[in-house]
Amino acid sequence: MAGGYRQQPGASSGEIRKDGKRVAGKQKFPPPGSGGSRPTMAQRDLDFIPESVGGKEPQPAGSHIHDRYRTGTEVGKPRALVDSHAKVTGQAWYGDDVRLSNEIIGKILRSPHHYAKIKSIDTSKVEALPGVLAVATGADAANTFGVLPVTKDEHAMAVEKVRHVGDLVACVAAVDEATAMEALNLFEIEWEVLDPVFDPRKGLEDQDEPIHWRGKYHVGTTNVQKRVFQEFGDRSLVADPTASSHGKWRMEGVHHGFTEPHAVVAHWDPNGRLQLYTPQQVPHYAHRALSTVLEVPMHQINVIRTFVGGGFGGKSDPFPHEMCAAILSRKAGRPVRINFTREEVYWINRGRHPSYIEVKMTADEEARISGFDIDALIDGGGFASFGHVTSYYNGVLATAPYELGSFHYTGARVWTNKPASGAMRGHGAVNTRCAVEVGLDEMAEQMQVDPIDLRLANLLPPHSRTISGFRITSNGMREALERVREGSDWDTKFRQMPLGKGIGIGCGFFISGSGLPIHWDPNRFPHATVHIQIDMDGGVTVHTGAADIGQGSTTAVAQVVSEVLALPIEMIHVRSHESDTSPVDLGSYSSRVTFMNANAAIRAALDIREKLLNAAWEMLGYHPDVLVLNDRRIYYKHDPAVGVSYLQALHKAQEDKGSLISSGAYRSPPMGGVHKGAAAGLAPAYSFSAYVAEVDVDVETGLVSCTNVWAAHDCGKALNPLAVEGQIIGSCHMGLGQVLSEKMVYGRTGHLQNPNLLEYKIPSVHEMPHVTPIIVESSDPEGPFGAKEAGEGPLLPILPAVVNAVYDAIGVRIRELPLTPDVVWKAISAKTRSLGGIDETELPTPRLEHSTLQATLVARGQEHKERDRRRQRSEDTSAYVNGVLFGFDPDRPLEDQVDGWKSAVEPVPEQLAELGLAGKAWLKKEQRQMGGDQ
Amino acid sequence: MMLMPPFNLHHPKTVEEACELAATFLANEESFDWVAGGTDLLPNYKWHINVKTHVISLANIPGLDIISMHEIGAMARLGALTTSENVHPLIASAASKVASSLIRNNATLGGNICLDTRCFWLNQSEDWRRSIDWCHKEDCGTGSDCRVIPNQNTLCVATYQGDLAPSLMVLEGTIHIIGPNGPRSLPVEEFFQLDGITRNVLQEGEFVLKVTFPENVANRSGSYKKLRVRESWDFPEAGVASSWIPGDLSSLRVASTALESIPRSHHEEVDALGNSFSKEHISQLSEKIMKSIKPVNNTALPPRYRKSMVRVLAKRSLREILGD
Repeated sequence: MAGGYRQQPGASSGEIRKDGKRVAGKQKFPPPGSGGSRPTMAQRDLDFIPESVGGKEPQPAGSHIHDRYRTGTEVGKPRALVDSHAKVTGQAWYGDDVRLSNEIIGKILRSPHHYAKIKSIDTSKVEALPGVLAVATGADAANTFGVLPVTKDEHAMAVEKVRHVGDLVACVAAVDEATAMEALNLFEIEWEVLDPVFDPRKGLEDQDEPIHWRGKYHVGTTNVQKRVFQEFGDRSLVADPTASSHGKWRMEGVHHGFTEPHAVVAHWDPNGRLQLYTPQQVPHYAHRALSTVLEVPMHQINVIRTFVGGGFGGKSDPFPHEMCAAILSRKAGRPVRINFTREEVYWINRGRHPSYIEVKMTADEEARISGFDIDALIDGGGFASFGHVTSYYNGVLATAPYELGSFHYTGARVWTNKPASGAMRGHGAVNTRCAVEVGLDEMAEQMQVDPIDLRLANLLPPHSRTISGFRITSNGMREALERVREGSDWDTKFRQMPLGKGIGIGCGFFISGSGLPIHWDPNRFPHATVHIQIDMDGGVTVHTGAADIGQGSTTAVAQVVSEVLALPIEMIHVRSHESDTSPVDLGSYSSRVTFMNANAAIRAALDIREKLLNAAWEMLGYHPDVLVLNDRRIYYKHDPAVGVSYLQALHKAQEDKGSLISSGAYRSPPMGGVHKGAAAGLAPAYSFSAYVAEVDVDVETGLVSCTNVWAAHDCGKALNPLAVEGQIIGSCHMGLGQVLSEKMVYGRTGHLQNPNLLEYKIPSVHEMPHVTPIIVESSDPEGPFGAKEAGEGPLLPILPAVVNAVYDAIGVRIRELPLTPDVVWKAISAKTRSLGGIDETELPTPRLEHSTLQATLVARGQEHKERDRRRQRSEDTSAYVNGVLFGFDPDRPLEDQVDGWKSAVEPVPEQLAELGLAGKAWLKKEQRQMGGDQ
Repeated sequence: MMLMPPFNLHHPKTVEEACELAATFLANEESFDWVAGGTDLLPNYKWHINVKTHVISLANIPGLDIISMHEIGAMARLGALTTSENVHPLIASAASKVASSLIRNNATLGGNICLDTRCFWLNQSEDWRRSIDWCHKEDCGTGSDCRVIPNQNTLCVATYQGDLAPSLMVLEGTIHIIGPNGPRSLPVEEFFQLDGITRNVLQEGEFVLKVTFPENVANRSGSYKKLRVRESWDFPEAGVASSWIPGDLSSLRVASTALESIPRSHHEEVDALGNSFSKEHISQLSEKIMKSIKPVNNTALPPRYRKSMVRVLAKRSLREILGD
């Protein structure tokens, strides 16, 4: 086989013509599957093979079950994303790049009213306009849909009433955009205008006409869409606290601000199948919803995910305009394209919920956190979207990384006549996390201890359970805190800088893949499936349904397949765009893709690997256990000269079978408690992060600028450190927008005042601080090669880090986001007035004089550090549950050893004595309890 | 993407030809707009705000883009102003704070002076404005009320957010206008007039030709302070420019922008301090300027805050030129 394959006859070394061109048909042709440019096998890259299997890659967090499949090919190396060439050369095809022959343009008629009943729609004038080819209204699509099966409350177009300005009323398709726009003015609609609700606090009250009706489960006649009550632990610990913090927050709604506005093309092909092109994060849910709304079986629909120009959660709902395009196309018999303007993007929204959050917390005499009491009232806008989940996340994702004596949460999501809120990067966790971390800062100040030491002495260890029963596996929280402390030179800066300069800390905790799939399936359908196919050319085609929304999921899949098979990454071709060819994947949400999809890909690749090794065994006579895969070659471990090329082994394996095909799947293990809502926030792994931010505050204008950020994130194992750093820096930017300048402004009349990118103020490059990304690798036992998420978690800590830094700079606690200059200035003015009208430049800044508790915390932190190290490396495998810090025996159920220890998800009257805003939702009865709607 | 509404674009080659075109449209009662860089007009057109049948571009008239210490043509690009060595540093500095570098490459001095007034009830799409039943400035024939200050149908309070005007004022610039009825010129501070609809003294058919400065302008030192949330893109939420000939307090000029429907020169406040004015009075003067302006709630930041910031901006601007 020396010399490899030669597919075409010709000169051996790429003969060149006199005019400098290569001789056609005679160019040097690499053997198929050789990987192209490298003719010989590369050396094994021991720097990227773990210590546990004889390499040189250090493993401070211990070995991993996938170590023996490491070949040193791709994992852990900084790699440009595999689709980056298409993007930087402008050849990536986004939603608006799809052009089908004969296509026509669809436009949507939107509600001019906040809340109104549609008494009649007359479309006769629209239909009569020359150039109009199809018109549709709510009457054309009666079935409801929604991303969560429990809250399907959306229609393609308004059926009975419109619920916010910009809600879809009707749509029209015409030969060109101008005609379609002209047609929109010809609809004749009779409205009955209803009284709108904008303030979520009003949404808790009984209304004449609630925005939606949930039948027997409706809470009174309010606009409460979902209410949550949870109480865990021993509430008696809260009494007589050494320190306490009580903060009431107002957080504005923010939008994802992705680059690409929504765009969709629908086309019913000659066989009557729907081909729908859409930039979707979750093509599978769009697929399901289309099937329901159009009343067409799923197999007659092909959802084609275009490149996605940013999603961040904003493209993960099935959208009404996708239905509209399909309906119009079916009527017109031609492909229909609908492109959004930026304003329409804001009207479909699904951004972060505007929130009222109240956090009370206490610490005991040993500076242990004896209780969190959280109340979150979130403004859902006109539809449910992901809100059911968001209502839980606002509470339950605050149960870690700290060990708590007790946890109390009341949450409510209400409908208002505004564009619907939904899932956005850091879904549900961001706002409460900010409130909690700022509370800890306040308690640290009361106790005069360092806030980092306070945290280090109260962390849950690796392999433990949170107070609500989440299973924590790997945990790099401690290392993250230590590294930002060191990187930022914290100990010489905190509480020591002059007025106007400040430094602050914040931590984060996030799910790495939602443990229960949204479409719960009794048949244990996997969360992710990956198919691999290799034909005689040796190229590896990977089919996955995972939606690359710019986060690099395609690259991650290519990398792990490349790693397992020891093939150069250019030999791996990922196909993920069409539902016709992609196995079902539950989508790019809840930071699940790398964890679940890469795990599925590893399994599929292992199947292929086994087939290749068996073929090599047959050819070489050595058992696979003593064979090594390295760069397109399989050889005997003790004599590398004895081996076969990848292609030889492949062709042997293909004898009588043809293409090698395999399928791998991932399904998360059973875990967590059994209480109502226990599934919300359950994940096979969790990510941890800690940020230190440095700010400059202009005390006269209130302008805050963030200058430096040290950002440590525990992603388990960075499969691609370049991508992880990109996610960290990008998260910083997005979180910084929410904390400093971004807000959806609903004015006096309830209209969204800034639906454009000039007035919706995403930070520019000038506002971007210098970010030092720090990757912490805790090697998750179930993650692919130890990896966990890095896409959402890194956003969380930037908010509290900045808010705490502002306090360090000016000594004023602000609990209103974003910290626009007017908000900061108002707070400064109030402070100077309260100090007898001093000048802003004379504001006193907070200082730290360590109390005796500081030494206690440092000692406990040291002790816990050793505990954590042993647990992380499985030297200590004893059980650990939240509460051990308070003296409980981890091997006995807590209820049995402590009288006051509770686990409640329905309130009893005495728990409703002191209520926050959202808690008031529990004062109402459901219709079925009222003898109303049964 | 938003669809541009149709209009007829005209490219006169000389100033005279431009005036003739305007005269013809006026005679035929056809509506038209002037366009220079288009960075203000065209976004408004896409929002269907005040779209005209004809648009006359000044881009092909040679000589209008002159840049010198004493004369700047209406078609001088802001990007060129920021990099030119032959322009007053105050102008260069103010121009460099306008929007973003991409926009500055197209935007012009004339366009920035004649910037349309802005208001969050107005600078929105047609659908959006329909949902509030329009407003006084662009009532679409409905006689709608002002949405900022309801129950008054006489005044538009849209805010003028041009960055350059106050600097031109404090440098004692003269604006040169031309139209079918011939040329005229007047001090920049007299150019701006009345409310958010009228905006300035331009008669129909007239356009700005250039701005000139006095002989001694190079002796002036100046400073422009701009309040904005982001260091790029954003229009000013408040802006204060000041200038003087060092050593000569009687030459002190202060002007503000982005606070009301027109930019304002603060002669009165400066004069009120009389001859006794010295560096120690900076706070006093800043306070007086702050009290003289009345912003309304139609930009990104609340009016009370913007008003308070005038004091800070004025103080900083004055300190910069007068020394601490």
